[in-house]
Amino acid sequence: MLKYIIKKLLLMIPVLLGLTIIVFLILHLAPGDPVHKVVGPNATPEVYENVKRSMGLDRPLIIQYFDYLGNLLKGDLGSSILQHRPVADIVMERFPITIGLGVRALLLSFLIAVPVGIIAAVNRNKLLDYFAMTFALVGISMPTFWFGMLLLYFFAYKLRLFPISGYGTWKHLMLPVITMGLTDAAVIARMMRSSMLEVIGQDYIRTARAKGLKEKVVTNKHALKNALIPVITLLGMRMGWIVGGSVTLEIIFSIPGLGRTMVDSIFSRDYPVVQGSILILAASVMISNLIADILYAVVDPRIRY
Amino acid sequence: MKNSISKKFAFILIVLLAAIAGFSGCTKADVPTGETPGGTAGEQPAKETTLVIAYERDAETLNHIKTGWYSDSLIYMYDRLVSRDYDFNYRPSLAKSWDTSEDGMVWTFHLREDVKFHNGKPLTAYDIKFTFDTILDPETASPSQSDFAAIKGLEVKDEYTVDVMLHQPFPNLLFVMSNTSAGIVSQEAYEEYGDEYGINYVVGTGPYMFQEWRQGDKIVIVKNPDYNWGPEWMTNRGPALIDNIEFRVIPEENSRLMELEAGNVHILRDVPASFLQRVDDIDGVEVMRRDATKLGYLAYACDKEPFTDIRVRQAINHAINKDDIITYVFRGYGEPAYGYLPPALKSEYYADSKKDGYEYDVEKAKQLLNEAGYNDGLSLTLSVENSTEYSRLAEVLQDQLKQVGINVVIQPYDSSSYTAMLKEGQQELFIRLYSWPNADILDWFLLSSQFPYPNHSRWQDEKTDELIHNAATSPTWDKRSEGYFAVQKHLIEQAVWAPIYIPENTIAVREEVKNFKFHPWIPQYNDGTYLEAE
Repeated sequence: MLKYIIKKLLLMIPVLLGLTIIVFLILHLAPGDPVHKVVGPNATPEVYENVKRSMGLDRPLIIQYFDYLGNLLKGDLGSSILQHRPVADIVMERFPITIGLGVRALLLSFLIAVPVGIIAAVNRNKLLDYFAMTFALVGISMPTFWFGMLLLYFFAYKLRLFPISGYGTWKHLMLPVITMGLTDAAVIARMMRSSMLEVIGQDYIRTARAKGLKEKVVTNKHALKNALIPVITLLGMRMGWIVGGSVTLEIIFSIPGLGRTMVDSIFSRDYPVVQGSILILAASVMISNLIADILYAVVDPRIRY
Repeated sequence: MKNSISKKFAFILIVLLAAIAGFSGCTKADVPTGETPGGTAGEQPAKETTLVIAYERDAETLNHIKTGWYSDSLIYMYDRLVSRDYDFNYRPSLAKSWDTSEDGMVWTFHLREDVKFHNGKPLTAYDIKFTFDTILDPETASPSQSDFAAIKGLEVKDEYTVDVMLHQPFPNLLFVMSNTSAGIVSQEAYEEYGDEYGINYVVGTGPYMFQEWRQGDKIVIVKNPDYNWGPEWMTNRGPALIDNIEFRVIPEENSRLMELEAGNVHILRDVPASFLQRVDDIDGVEVMRRDATKLGYLAYACDKEPFTDIRVRQAINHAINKDDIITYVFRGYGEPAYGYLPPALKSEYYADSKKDGYEYDVEKAKQLLNEAGYNDGLSLTLSVENSTEYSRLAEVLQDQLKQVGINVVIQPYDSSSYTAMLKEGQQELFIRLYSWPNADILDWFLLSSQFPYPNHSRWQDEKTDELIHNAATSPTWDKRSEGYFAVQKHLIEQAVWAPIYIPENTIAVREEVKNFKFHPWIPQYNDGTYLEAE
């Protein structure tokens, strides 16, 4: 298993490298540049050229890229051309916030989805099942940002239970975590249900029942463990979705996370910040997929890497 | 056996990682800190007042020398040599007086002697010289370098006297010296903190001092208790009456409004026209309006056909129904514009702009187009930045131009791409808005030397160049104003732009904010404004 993990980690490197090239090209080939943002519309050509030179943007693209790559390999993410401070500082301030939000949401979604899925499967075609699946359908169909705004409007603005904006206490995290967690739970609950149904139909379950075991034991000990397998792999994949969803939620709830920073820096063409944020976010998505793979092996004894 | 142990290990490792990631979002603020002991037993400390202002975006850096985008907080943390009063007159601030040499090439500023920086050190002429030397140094790559291009150099005459030498007479020096970019820094602090200056340290002489900057969240400044050198036109020249000001970042517009209504935010600057009525209706909130130093206009590439023909330019001017635009696009907030400067610039505005300007007249427009040979009509592109308001404006203009036979295709752009497009000179018709409190905006946009950008009207005219040059290098402010009247008159005659509207500056202010002073440039919170205790 260790070999597998190491191999996967090493494979991340060429992927991230390819990512830097793609992001770099897209940023620099898109129209517009950060110099204009900095000097404003009223600057003279001399000032414009001077500021461009100070940002290193007057050099040929190839040189700019290899300069960036060289620094990256030394562990230096470069400096924000608009904020005049290390990209690493910016990323390290914001990344924990985004990931903290994401992991909490993921955990919440898991805690909701698994019992809901089990209950739905065990009570198949009965009222509980219909309730559960309707909840899942609504959760999948509803845009996350719209749901977030609804929660914000009712629970923060009307009922004053939570703050409307800002960041710092657990209260600030509740609404965004619930928003993301519930919408994510909808997707996972359906998976849990169908996985559970498939497992319950298996022969070994029939054997367990025939042995005279209590239904609860059959469900929780025998069926659940096996039904969880596809759901766990799903968890790893959801991380990518959560990172993407964090952008809109960070804007709606005014949370200073990395998703929002990344989008802002795309609009202001702050190239180093865009590259740094994308790299970190991509790496975290890849690592969470790797964790999902490992958990998969832990839970399923048949899997050997 | 081995397999199951490694699996257990992997599982524990993963749970640990999840726990770390999950709790990494906690900041120091999550952990309640103990109350710092203050006041002797039995004494009730006075409740601190904090004014909260909401913004869409955060500052990039608080080092105004290195950035082109200024956080409002910079205006309160620094003082400038010259200040602007409520009528946009230029008055003393850090400089208690100034004189100009006969030929207008040397200005001597006499500084106040009682000013201290936030670190306790006194302000001297050396700090003035250092500030502008740093801005003008090409190595600094300061975006505001061109503002001070007229300055050749500075010389310290004595501890409280500094000479500013110019390349040519420049009466507008008063304007640039009162700008945010001219905030005076402490040479000692600026050099000491190096790269960290503007991020973790800000040292000025202003009525407020830097306290903290939670990136992406808020900037907090606290009142300077030693402040005693407010300009003479303020009623309160001492320390401010509000203890703290918080500049909060709330990117979502609806959230800003909700917070204003909830009372968590006291001030909202620049409420968009579509929200104004709704905000005004909120209990406890008042919307203050004032003519802005802004101008919105329809421009065209004057060196391309059909715009090379003055009759076409004039026809376009006649085709625009400005009153309708103000009513339907800007909900009645704003004034029609006929000239090239906003009326709020009292001393520089050409008072006959409306008289000389072009009235809405569809028949006249059609007639002019026919004379120019376009009786079959025209097909043109209209470029615009893709905000809601501008898009609506573009649609209305499209409709109005259609009435005179000009068919227009609208092309929206995001702001960076828009500028790139203008630089490449691809525009035909395009919409612009400028926000600038000085007549020299006409220099920026319309001098031939500024072709092709920022002279995106692509207007290259000897007479315009001559008139502007005469105005800008006049010996006195009054002569300069006269010169600019002539410039504006000429531009109106030549129909270089089609001016449309003057927006309003609107500020939403909660009722707890007492004695609010709506200044044409920026609210002056230290001029007697205070917060009513709840």
